[in-house]
Amino acid sequence: MTTVEKSARHDARQRHDRYRYRDTKLAFLMLAPVVILLGIFVIWPAVYAGYLSFQDWSFYKDPEFVGWKNFTDVLSDPLFIATIGRGFMFVLMTVPPMLILAFLFSSLVVAVSRRFASILKVSIYIPTIISAVIASIIFVLIYDYSGGLLNAFLGVFGVEPIAWIGDPKWALLAIAIPAIWLGMGLTSLIMVAAMVDIPVEYYEAAAMEGAGWWQKTFYITIPQMKNVFLYLLVTGFVAAIQQFELPLVMTGGGPLDSTTLPNLFIFNHFRNDMNVGYSIAAALLLFVVLGTVSALVFKFVNSERLVD
Amino acid sequence: MAVMQGETTRIVLAGKEPAPRTRMPRTTGGWLTFVGKLLVGIVFIVAALFPLAWMVIAGFKSKTEVIQTPFQFFPEVWRWENYTQILADPTFSRTMVWTFLGALLFTVLALAVNSLAAYAFARLDFRFKRTMWVIVITTMFIPGMTILLTSFIVVTRLSMLDTLAVLVIPGAASAGMVFFIRQFYLNIPASLEEAAMLDGCGRFGIFVRIFLPLSKPPFVVMGITAFLGYWNSYVWPIMTITTPERFVVQQYLATFRSERSTELGLLMAGSLLAAAPVIILFLIFQRQIIGNIKMAGLK
Repeated sequence: MTTVEKSARHDARQRHDRYRYRDTKLAFLMLAPVVILLGIFVIWPAVYAGYLSFQDWSFYKDPEFVGWKNFTDVLSDPLFIATIGRGFMFVLMTVPPMLILAFLFSSLVVAVSRRFASILKVSIYIPTIISAVIASIIFVLIYDYSGGLLNAFLGVFGVEPIAWIGDPKWALLAIAIPAIWLGMGLTSLIMVAAMVDIPVEYYEAAAMEGAGWWQKTFYITIPQMKNVFLYLLVTGFVAAIQQFELPLVMTGGGPLDSTTLPNLFIFNHFRNDMNVGYSIAAALLLFVVLGTVSALVFKFVNSERLVD
Repeated sequence: MAVMQGETTRIVLAGKEPAPRTRMPRTTGGWLTFVGKLLVGIVFIVAALFPLAWMVIAGFKSKTEVIQTPFQFFPEVWRWENYTQILADPTFSRTMVWTFLGALLFTVLALAVNSLAAYAFARLDFRFKRTMWVIVITTMFIPGMTILLTSFIVVTRLSMLDTLAVLVIPGAASAGMVFFIRQFYLNIPASLEEAAMLDGCGRFGIFVRIFLPLSKPPFVVMGITAFLGYWNSYVWPIMTITTPERFVVQQYLATFRSERSTELGLLMAGSLLAAAPVIILFLIFQRQIIGNIKMAGLK
């Protein structure tokens, strides 16, 4: 290859690049606000958190490098391990009931008239827009030991009053209910959208063969919705294990730590603990697990989309 | 009448009867009779709306009636006092007004910065596009708890504590929102742009004159999401806002509950009024929001 050819190609390439990147200046101007804001308020804090997790540091003294000590401290802290276990317990209490209820709900929505379906959809979504603080206030009063609605209702059946959020046995369940109430809307509507997408022909063919509702559900609906279930399962898992506003407002984590979920544990450490590095290391450890799960799901969902 | 004419025109153009508008039921025969479906549906509606209805009713009760024993569902006398009293409370009304203005400001700012970036990523060719896209998207996976404390340190250093700016600015840029709006912009046909370019319109002009006017659907959904996020936020405000006069509404309610725990009727009335703006907003735009769940979800 001669020099002339080379430089000709080089010129062409430059011309091509100039054409290709003709919008660079404008694009950078348009991106600047988002990139700067994300840089200052997300990326820098994340990098800084990574740095602090290796330091022994508090607001009152200079940081001191301690290597992996914070991480090993967190992992060997029985309190932290217990909150993780409680987090999984909470996931079990919220996600499966929510998925089952949402499935029943969407089966109902696709089987009724358009008008009734839209009333159902609007009703189920309204709790989703209510704040965790307001939900907490409502449910704390419903759970009240002596004058609450729930004990009064159970009293009709002869059940002795229960201190729902005052008894470590019941408190986590008592917090799971408002969590389900708040989370049902989005889960249900995503499921409805997925169910409407299943081709009607499948059901017609099955009906011709004489399949009943159960058979159609088990052989058509559920297999067709496999991806949606997986998606909702994982997003539900990630959301539930990160829940902390409800226990923060309803119980403050008590009684006897029975509602201290992982994020609340970290949050309380932030507010009370001198060693910031420890809390940040705990938050990072949680993030590594959850981040991996969400990234995998995102990848999975994206690749599914490409197939379509 | 106009609707009827429209229908007729459509029939004539198509040359045949339009398909019946009722949806084909997914499950013929069904697992439940009509009455059964109605009953199950009502159970779902009651379960979803009951806590709110109970809050409305409790707002009409006197302060001792809300959790009195024996339990009474309805108040003995329906009183408006709680609602008028909480509305007359200057702290509450000021909190509501400031939270509302803050939420509006936040929404406008978020839509502005994120749609600019969305347009650049959807339509412009520039250096480092892929790298920057990856960086922006990666921020979606950083959970709030991980950076809560370091964000707090950052806003402290920027002297933003206890101002409106600390509530409005840090959360304005959102990779999720950029992603959502970009998906919409990718689907706008290029022919529209080409026509505008022939008329001498620049890239930025195209964004302002063509893309923005077409942006209503993603803007409604993202705008409501941003507004709701601001209106319902609690943790960030309790960390950064310390002066009671600058509290946001959720913070006010939580403080009210712990400090004036005997005035339950008032608390219920206040909670309802604090939820009212977002419920009204949702009811106005519910068609767009529910219609777009699909977009936001899987496909």
